[in-house]
Amino acid sequence: MSYAVEGLGIEKSFVRKRSLGQLLRDPFGRAERVHALRGVDLQVGDGEIFGLLGPNGAGKTTLLKILSCLVLPDKGQARILGVDTADEDRVKPQLGLVTTDERSFYWRLSGRENMRFFSILYDVPSDRRMARIDELLERVGLTEAADQRFSDYSAGMKQRLSIARSLLHDPPVLLMDEPTRSLDPAASLELRAFVKDELKARDRKTIILATHNLPEAEALCDRLAILIKGKIRQEGSVDAVRAFGLETHGYELEVDRWPGDFSGPAQVHKTESIPDGTLVQLSLTDGAELGDLLSALMHAGVAVRRCDRHESDLEEAFTRILDAEEPDDSAKPGGSGRQTGGAV
Amino acid sequence: MIRLLRKAWAFLERDLRAETSYRLSFLLQIGGMLFSVLAFYFMTKMIDPDTPGLDGIPPFQWMLIGLSFQFYFSTALYSFSQKIRNEQMLGTLEAMLVSPTPTAMVIFSSASWDFVYGGLRVGLYLLFAVLLFGVEIHTSSLPTVALGVLLTLLSSAGLGILSASFILYFKRGDPINLLLSSLTTFFGSVFFPVENLPESVRFISDYLPITWSLRVVRGALLKGESFATLQYDLLQLGILTAILLPAGIFFSRFAIRRAKREGTLVHY
Repeated sequence: MSYAVEGLGIEKSFVRKRSLGQLLRDPFGRAERVHALRGVDLQVGDGEIFGLLGPNGAGKTTLLKILSCLVLPDKGQARILGVDTADEDRVKPQLGLVTTDERSFYWRLSGRENMRFFSILYDVPSDRRMARIDELLERVGLTEAADQRFSDYSAGMKQRLSIARSLLHDPPVLLMDEPTRSLDPAASLELRAFVKDELKARDRKTIILATHNLPEAEALCDRLAILIKGKIRQEGSVDAVRAFGLETHGYELEVDRWPGDFSGPAQVHKTESIPDGTLVQLSLTDGAELGDLLSALMHAGVAVRRCDRHESDLEEAFTRILDAEEPDDSAKPGGSGRQTGGAV
Repeated sequence: MIRLLRKAWAFLERDLRAETSYRLSFLLQIGGMLFSVLAFYFMTKMIDPDTPGLDGIPPFQWMLIGLSFQFYFSTALYSFSQKIRNEQMLGTLEAMLVSPTPTAMVIFSSASWDFVYGGLRVGLYLLFAVLLFGVEIHTSSLPTVALGVLLTLLSSAGLGILSASFILYFKRGDPINLLLSSLTTFFGSVFFPVENLPESVRFISDYLPITWSLRVVRGALLKGESFATLQYDLLQLGILTAILLPAGIFFSRFAIRRAKREGTLVHY
C-alpha cells in the first residue's frame, strides 16, 4: 500500500551548543548531541488528517522540517507520495507548510503583494496567478483586506493568509505546525472548521497537524501519534489512543445505595453521595462482563438507576502515555518503542 | 531559464516595493550621496595631482570612481549575508525554502535589489560629478566599461556568496567580510594609489578584483582608453572572476547541505 506521507526509521540529532565555561574547561572536547528523533516510523494515508502530539521538545517540529525538506535526517527516510524528501525538486511541489510564525511574511507589503511574491516562488503559472490569488483570498475570507499592509492584520488574519499561501500551488499534502497557537478561541474554532470542511472534506488534502492542543486534535484528526522524546509512543485512531492504558472499560453507575462490603467483579474508583442515592465510578475486574456486575448488584439488593460507560478523554490518555514507562528497546531488536492501537 | 529570471524579478519587485514604502529614507540617502560627493570634491583639492599612480587623472575623478566602486564591492560583500540573516530573523526564509525554488536561487536573488541599487548609486555619483563639477566621461569606451562592470559584478558576487556561505555555516561572525572589506579599502587603490604603499606589500592588490575593476573603469571612463589598452587588466579581472564565482557557488552548496544536515538552515 502506498501512503501520502511515510517515515521509515527517521533519526535526527543536533549538536548542543557549548557554554563559554565548557569551552574554557575543555576547548577541544566533543560537543554533546541531543537526540530529537529516535527511529520514527510513520504512515499517513491519502486524505487523512494525522495529528502529531507531544510535549515541548518531543521532536514534532523536527519531524515536520524533515518532511518539508528543510532538515536532512541522520538515518532513515521520509517520503512524500512515495518520493524521498532528499529529492526536493520532486517533493516540494507536493507540499504546503503552515507555520505558527506570524513573521513569515513581509510586513511592509499587502496581503495580495505577499501572495503574488510567493505565487511566483511556488511556480503558479502567470496566466492563472491573479485568479488563483483572488480565489484563495476569498476562501480564507481576506478579500476585503487583501490590499491592507500585512502589519495591519490581526493574528487570525495572518494565520489565514499563511494557509492561503500554502495552497497557492494546490499541494496534495499540507504540514501544519501548531496553526492555532496564537489565535483566540473564536479564531481557533473558525480555523478548525476551515480545515475540516474545506481542506479535508472539499479538497481531500492529506494533513499532518502538529499540535499541543488536545481538544483540537480530538476534533480534527482521523489518527494520532504521540511523540515523546523523539519516539512515537502511541499511534492509532483517536478512540484507540484515548483507550490507552485502560485495562477494561470504566463505568459510571447511579444506584440507590452502595454496600460497603460489596464483593462483586468490580474495582471501585470513586463513590459520591447524590440526592437519593450514590454515584459510583468503577471498572470491571479481569474477565468480568457488565452483566456479571449487574447480577451481583441485584443479588445485593442494589437498585441501579443508570449505567454509562465512562469515556476517557484524550487529555487523560495523554497523561497516562506520558506517565507510562518507556518500552525497553533493548528487549526487542529494532523495536521502535511504539504501541499501535486500533485499525490503521 | 525564463522561470528563474521571473523569480529573480519577483525578488527585485518585492524589495523595490518595500524600499519605496520608506520614501523619506530613500530621499535622504540621495541627499547624503550628494553631500559626500561635495565633500570629496573639496577634500581632493588638497591632493597633489602629480601623485604617483594617479596616471594623469584629476584626484577628484580618480577618487570618485574609487568611492563608488568600493560601495559596490561592499554591497556585494555584505548584501548576501545580511539578506540571509534578515530573512532568517524575519522568519521568511523558511517560507521561501519550502517553495519549489532552489535554495541557491533564494540566496542569490535575495540580494538582487542591493546590486541594482548599488548600480544606481554608482550612476548617481557619476551624474552628480558630471552635472556639478563638469567631469568628462568618455562615452566611446562604454562597451569596455560595461564589460568591466559585468566582470566586477560577477567577481564581487563570488565574494559575496562566499561570505553568505560563511554565515549559513557559522551563523555569525562573518569574518570574511571584515577581512575582504579591509583589504579592498586598503590595497585596492580605492582612496589612494597602491604605488604609495611599501613595495613589499603591493602584491596583495594584484589578488583583489577591485584593483583591476578600478583600472578598467578609470581608464575607459575617464581617459577614454580602448579595449586593446585595457585587455591585460580585463584578463586579470576575468581570471579572478573565474576563480571566485565557482568557488562561491561550490562553498554555498556545501554550506547549504551542511546547514540542512545540522538543522540550522533557517535559524539565526
